[in-house]
Amino acid sequence: MGLEQYQGDMEMCCRCSACKFIPMQKVKGSAFSYACPSIARYNFHAYSGGGRLNIGAAMLKNGFKYTDKLLDVVYNCQLCGACGVSCNYAMDMEVLQPITEFRLKCVADGKTNPALDKVIAGLRKTGSMVTARGKRGDWAAGLNLKDAAREKVDVLYHVGCLTSYDKDMQKLARAAVKILQKAGVNFGIAGNAETCCGGRAYQMGYEEDFLNQAKKNLAMIKKAGIKTLVTSCADGYQAFKVLYDKYNLKGDLEVLHISEYIARLIEEGKLKPRRKVNLSVTYHDPCRLGRLGEPWVHWEGKKVPGDRFVFDPPKEYRRGTKGVYEPPRDVLKAIPGLKLTEMTRIKEYSWCCGAGGGVNESNPDFALWTAQERIDEAVATGAEAIVSACPWCEKTLGEAVKESSSALKVYDIVELVEKAI
Amino acid sequence: MALSKEVYKEFEAVVGEENICDDPVIMPAYYGTEFAAVILPGDTAEVQAVVRLCNRHKIIFRPICTGWTGMFPKGCVLLDLRRMNRIVEINEKNMYAVVEPYVISSELQAELFKRGLNFCIKGAGTNCSAMLRGHGHMDQTTSGDDRNHLAIEWVTPEGNIVRTGALGSADEWFCGDGPGPSLRSILTSAVPPGVTPGVFTKAAVKLYHWPGPAAYPIEGVSPHYQLSEIPPNMMARYYSFPSVEKMWQAELKIGEAEIAFELMGFNISMVAANITTSNEEEEETFKRLNAEVQGPGFFVIIAGNSAADFAYKKKVLEKIVSEADGRSLKAAEDPRIEGILMCQCTRISASIRETFRNGGAFNSIPIMGQRDLTIKWAIGAGKAKEPLIKKGYIVDDGGAFFGWGVEQGHLGKTEIFCKFDPQNAEAKAAVEGWQKQETERAFKESYFASTMGPQDEIGPALLNYHLWWSKLTKAIDPNGVSPEGGSLV
Repeated sequence: MGLEQYQGDMEMCCRCSACKFIPMQKVKGSAFSYACPSIARYNFHAYSGGGRLNIGAAMLKNGFKYTDKLLDVVYNCQLCGACGVSCNYAMDMEVLQPITEFRLKCVADGKTNPALDKVIAGLRKTGSMVTARGKRGDWAAGLNLKDAAREKVDVLYHVGCLTSYDKDMQKLARAAVKILQKAGVNFGIAGNAETCCGGRAYQMGYEEDFLNQAKKNLAMIKKAGIKTLVTSCADGYQAFKVLYDKYNLKGDLEVLHISEYIARLIEEGKLKPRRKVNLSVTYHDPCRLGRLGEPWVHWEGKKVPGDRFVFDPPKEYRRGTKGVYEPPRDVLKAIPGLKLTEMTRIKEYSWCCGAGGGVNESNPDFALWTAQERIDEAVATGAEAIVSACPWCEKTLGEAVKESSSALKVYDIVELVEKAI
Repeated sequence: MALSKEVYKEFEAVVGEENICDDPVIMPAYYGTEFAAVILPGDTAEVQAVVRLCNRHKIIFRPICTGWTGMFPKGCVLLDLRRMNRIVEINEKNMYAVVEPYVISSELQAELFKRGLNFCIKGAGTNCSAMLRGHGHMDQTTSGDDRNHLAIEWVTPEGNIVRTGALGSADEWFCGDGPGPSLRSILTSAVPPGVTPGVFTKAAVKLYHWPGPAAYPIEGVSPHYQLSEIPPNMMARYYSFPSVEKMWQAELKIGEAEIAFELMGFNISMVAANITTSNEEEEETFKRLNAEVQGPGFFVIIAGNSAADFAYKKKVLEKIVSEADGRSLKAAEDPRIEGILMCQCTRISASIRETFRNGGAFNSIPIMGQRDLTIKWAIGAGKAKEPLIKKGYIVDDGGAFFGWGVEQGHLGKTEIFCKFDPQNAEAKAAVEGWQKQETERAFKESYFASTMGPQDEIGPALLNYHLWWSKLTKAIDPNGVSPEGGSLV
């Protein structure tokens, strides 16, 4: 690991600016053509994927010099990966990985963001990325759920920090368990034994904290004999499925997002959405369920000397192709009365909600600006509501709606399924 | 090289605190040059004010659009025109669009397709500025180069605003040459330096009829995009020929028959680059397709305005190809390949695959002129690539060149490039040597290549234009703040 391994990738950047836009074939006009919130908001090339790579390459060559502006560039990025998808339509090179490594290096060198330091201090103390008031499993009081840490279950429902502690988001956990109960799934929660997945700590650059959380989670899972984990948080999904695997920690744990699991239950006939939900919606792909939910590809090799940027053995790039795009749509389509209309930027080139990469904490105004762009795009479809599949998306999009006094409603997919069963 | 605090404050007062930066740490994001500052003007008035300040303080400036390429003197102020990204007007009746510098071709074309219109997207790609001057894949029907620039709003190197053509007299954009001042020879120079001093802040580009769909029916997930169906009355094919002479004759006849929406003289290496999603796949595909083709070839798109028009064009195309012993590439007849080639070659969305993906860089020699003659020059340039291929310095593309006719005529563009890894110093030096040698040969053989220079060497062969150009630049840029060289991509 480390930035150095991506020197060749960073030097491959030809500054074509494709990383700033959605894939060129998909550009439908002058509206909603931008892919990257950071360059769209801050305009200097340094804030683009390509700009970040060129800075990284220059610093590897000439030495690292941290300035306030550089750190502003580093931390005003959701690490949403849209830049990489657009670049990798044409180019064979890593984009998001070196950008992420640069941030990890900043933190390792002590060049942290004070707001993120505060969040991480909270994580170390409480095992949560959000303020922990009360106990983690309090939301489940009276629901008679199995304790997966002690009882034998087929499925562990990992709730996540925001859904556990945020009173406005606890409805998502209650909806998810109602769906699982309705389908007759033998599941449980870890309750107070659950701890943060560490995914957001990783996004913020705190690799050691991420690894600590991963080890704690996996120790509990191993001890409880859990084979399948379902989560309704996209950050959690990416952490368990992709990041744990990246660090060779995941083992054979099956990780599913709740939308994937619901789609499976519907297909197997175990869940039947029968009640009409008369609503026109548009679906927002969470970055870490969509393009960044693509499985990790383990690879080690060396560049083949010569004219091309090729490797032995050949390298398979993660271009966002294998993200989770269809299951949430299949679920929405299975709800009677619900009408789905797509936005301009969807699936692998979806626009970020703004919350990722610690931006929600380090620069809430930027997070809100990013979400507002998405709300404008959703409103342009004529839909009554925007639906996502991650509590962080719902929270940020909801705040943007409030801020703009829009009439658009914001839902998580589990809320709509709950209405339909 | 940094600006003094006082001067910085003056620029900041024009564009605002958020839109100026002089931190050297972020400059490599742009280029290796030590810029005095990067400034992001938001409109023409801000550009004018910044340029005037540059004159007052004798500071060199250079503008960029998306910022792909350029040459930047140390200590210059970079005007990043990113905030100037508005489509000002699409005039369907008079068939022009007015854009600011940071409208990319993809955005404008998507808006035009909805209206049954199109414009010339330059070969550099749809990720570049829509106001970029040059040639592109669709030159058969959209012409190329300075033909497509109509009226232009230009902030001169001194900071005056000049509105050319009809804009200068009637506040209309429909014509670049009048009624009003025509400065075409200054503003759209084809010869070195090739770039106008000062800043273009708005330009009208000519529009053309688009017989295709309002949007391509794309399905799949990146990078595996395909068309769900070939749009009605459209067809794309790649034909190879037993000899260059036969290919050229077929190209000429197709031009004379005015049946092709696009005729792009791709070599088979470029076809392989277009239809593949990785370097490894491309290498394998190139070998396979290279074994199938019988010689040089070209890619054609036929687009009918009706079923009858399409049938006629198709019939004529097949006759011309047959008479020249041309053979259709089977792989490109597969609707999955045909569709994505059609889409990419009208949206010009895979130029990066063709050029940068392999090694990260390419050096090119574009030649304008009579197609059959320039092809003869390019064959020699291709042979000169062979030693570099053998040494493993450049990607093996069979030494191929490419090109296309413009406006269905004899005139056209022929181009040849070497793709290489710029981190390999030996390869870089070898490619630069090849480029210099073959450009010199073009000059000696009386071809015009845009890589020629310096001006005082080629000027005497071109009516001493360099002397006039020198006088002109002194007149319009008395403080020498808008240097020559580079391009505005």
